[in-house]
Amino acid sequence: MASVSIRICGANGDGVESSGALVIKVAAKNGLHVFGYRGYQSIIRGGHVWYQIRIGDSELRSHGEGIDILIALNQDSINYQKSHLNQNAIVIYDPSKVKVDSLDSSRFVFVPIPLLDIAIAASGDPIMRNVVAIGAALKFVGIDIDAFNEVIRGMFGRKGEAVVNNNIKAAAEGYNYNGVKTAYNIKGDGKQRYALDGNTALSIGAYAAGCKFYAAYPMTPASTILQWFASHENKGVMPKQTEDEIAAINMTIGAASAGARAMCGTSGGGFSLMVEGLGLAGMLETPIVVVNSQRTGPSTGLPTKTEQADLLFVMHASQGEFPRIVVAPRSVADSFKVTAEAFNLADRYQCPVIILMDLYMSEHIESVERLDVDEVVIDRGKVVTENTGGGRFKRYLITDDGISQRAYPGSAGLEYVAGSDEHDEFGDLISDAFAGTDESIEVRKKMNAKRMRKMDTMLKNEKVFVPHVDADGGFYIVTWGSTTSPALEALEILKSKGQSVGLISFDYILPMDSRKTSDMLKGKKLIDVELNGTGQLAKVIRMNTGIGIEKSILKSDGEAFTGEEIANGIAEIIKSW
Amino acid sequence: MADVINPGTGATPKQSFASSIKGIWCPGCGDWSVQAALTKALQGIGIERERIVIVSGIGCSSAMPHPFSTYGIHSLHGRLIPVATGVKLANDDLTVIGTGGDGDGYGIGVGHLIHAARRNINITYIVMDNEIYGLTTGQASPTSLLGAKTKSTPFGSIENPENPVGIAIAAGATYVARAFSGDPVHMAELIKNGILHKGFSIIDVFSPCVTFNNLNTYDWFRQRVYKLEQAGHDPSSMQKALERSLEAEQTGWSKIPIGLFYKTEKPAYSALDMTLQKGPLVNQPMPTKQQVMDILEEYK
Repeated sequence: MASVSIRICGANGDGVESSGALVIKVAAKNGLHVFGYRGYQSIIRGGHVWYQIRIGDSELRSHGEGIDILIALNQDSINYQKSHLNQNAIVIYDPSKVKVDSLDSSRFVFVPIPLLDIAIAASGDPIMRNVVAIGAALKFVGIDIDAFNEVIRGMFGRKGEAVVNNNIKAAAEGYNYNGVKTAYNIKGDGKQRYALDGNTALSIGAYAAGCKFYAAYPMTPASTILQWFASHENKGVMPKQTEDEIAAINMTIGAASAGARAMCGTSGGGFSLMVEGLGLAGMLETPIVVVNSQRTGPSTGLPTKTEQADLLFVMHASQGEFPRIVVAPRSVADSFKVTAEAFNLADRYQCPVIILMDLYMSEHIESVERLDVDEVVIDRGKVVTENTGGGRFKRYLITDDGISQRAYPGSAGLEYVAGSDEHDEFGDLISDAFAGTDESIEVRKKMNAKRMRKMDTMLKNEKVFVPHVDADGGFYIVTWGSTTSPALEALEILKSKGQSVGLISFDYILPMDSRKTSDMLKGKKLIDVELNGTGQLAKVIRMNTGIGIEKSILKSDGEAFTGEEIANGIAEIIKSW
Repeated sequence: MADVINPGTGATPKQSFASSIKGIWCPGCGDWSVQAALTKALQGIGIERERIVIVSGIGCSSAMPHPFSTYGIHSLHGRLIPVATGVKLANDDLTVIGTGGDGDGYGIGVGHLIHAARRNINITYIVMDNEIYGLTTGQASPTSLLGAKTKSTPFGSIENPENPVGIAIAAGATYVARAFSGDPVHMAELIKNGILHKGFSIIDVFSPCVTFNNLNTYDWFRQRVYKLEQAGHDPSSMQKALERSLEAEQTGWSKIPIGLFYKTEKPAYSALDMTLQKGPLVNQPMPTKQQVMDILEEYK
């Protein structure tokens, strides 16, 4: 596998993000594999931002270790990034703005281009300096300039011929600049791929599942889901920006109670506010989907950095005991798939389903060949529209599988009141006048057991609640969610060094099938790899199976794992096993 | 038309709307009058019971949905407005009525009130305002009067009472009224007109707590309330409505107006929502595979 990592660096407001998105689109359209991730801060202007785009000739699992091509739009780009430059890295910069004296000229290739002057001459617009630099970078990578021009026409065609031509002209200047030559020549396979981030794939998954209602309060890194729904409002979905996350989840419960497929989303801080509502959905047995895109905590933490530290929190959030499902997608394509399925699970088991994203999964962009659109089925579960049995409708009928028939308001003869208080089969409260009577004690016992029985039913009927054995080996990495991708990359690196390591990864974590999971893990040499400080998945595994995982690679510095980082850690552990 | 109350076809004025469940309130509680007035209002409009959803929070008054044979959601303390809003947004054909108390709506949930009002969401919100926390056995509420002695303010409350009518008007509610449980006929008319109003309607109801509030009793209210309808008040004026909302406090609670404070016509939320122009959300079709593929093309 051949790959090259380009990092575009500058300040907020320099157009780093749009430049990165442009390069990703060009590569994905040309049969190349792409993995993009950006570093930024909670500030609108200034700061130091970067966008790393890794381009390869086969599937990529992370944004890569180090920088092969640096586009330095300001001096900070050199100062902050020099420690990340790989040997022989190409450094593209404007000598009128950026000094490279601090870099060892024997280790790097300097490419000084008067980006600003060229941009102004070509278009009159100083921001076009990015495009000049991109043109040069594309030449170094070996991507044909026609590919760029085609993407530009698609992106800016609406804005008129002048905008298109200015971009094309600026890029050509960089591409053809004296001394700029192809250094990598990574070849694509001709297949056009989608360039998607996790939140976009999740949103499209929700759309495909017939999710009609999405409520949220803006919070990084979940806000782009709200924006996705807002920009697709003309496609028959209803986005609602609420006054807070409490309103978001309660509106979602209202919409779901009335029969719409409904979702809300936030990050950990907002999820904290949603906790009471989560219990309401559990008690009313209302199917809702809740997204928590984790960022580095606790409290406000690092709002623009990633972590996987909310697992135990979302598994146990809210008072009392009620059924719920927790799933963490393992890739961008997976974000589509599990979200589409989350709505079926919510409807089938009439309980909240929590999708655990994280900033890395929400925001990094992958080239994706296909999403499983054809495999999406819509199953609304036990819904009735008519009272066939006569008599008063028992919304909370006690059943063997714990699931009762559900009716939407508007259906005559099925009227009921759903109560957050403990209730009987009709929904009538047992809390007010009769709590503590022998009859009520019996009702409470049966209702609580009925709800919890749904967890057993899920385990019995669904195939998804077992981890994936992605690879076998003498040792096994155990991980979950977004860390699966860099773990897979680590396996390749270890393999190239002659070390055979396996991987067991979790997407559906709650409920956990104790027996099957135990069978899968026992007797194996396990190493827990998680992006948190305490090994939360390992704790869940121990809780469910009694199996303790003694060795671990954990970190909570705000940055996602790279394959190399995991591979090095695993090699160390194996050495001393 | 997305924001028009469906007149109903099957219901007769005699439809009782009563379920087999009896209200939980103390004998003499003002909430019994609210149940009667809401029943009368619904009978007056004639909507089928299956198209009515009564959403409540937590508290004595939030037990309101249970004695009704309509659909209902007895939700969380302070959260009835977002739940009711979600129901209404998902199915605009439904008549959605919120019922709760002053602690629920003016204390823990007051933020939602302001946003429901400014959205002008087409629901009717009945607040049974007894100036006390009843179900938790008698602590001060956001509308307890200055000096009120309660279990949590045994030496007298030092906090000024909230002005919910003024807040609702200022926040953009398009139908703001106040009723008194001592006059259920008047209340029923205000509720009925609130339900028929296209937009956010709120009816604050003085609903005395006969067990824990021995200050704001039926007699106390009877001596002080007067009807705006009989005082030449012009409910189309926001200024006049705000002035009236201040009157009780300005007169040292000697003159308390009840009736319709403010009513104005503005497009209801559903009339402006892009998606709802195609009908109730729950009736809209699931996407086809082709529609999903078309959206994916944006990312190539």
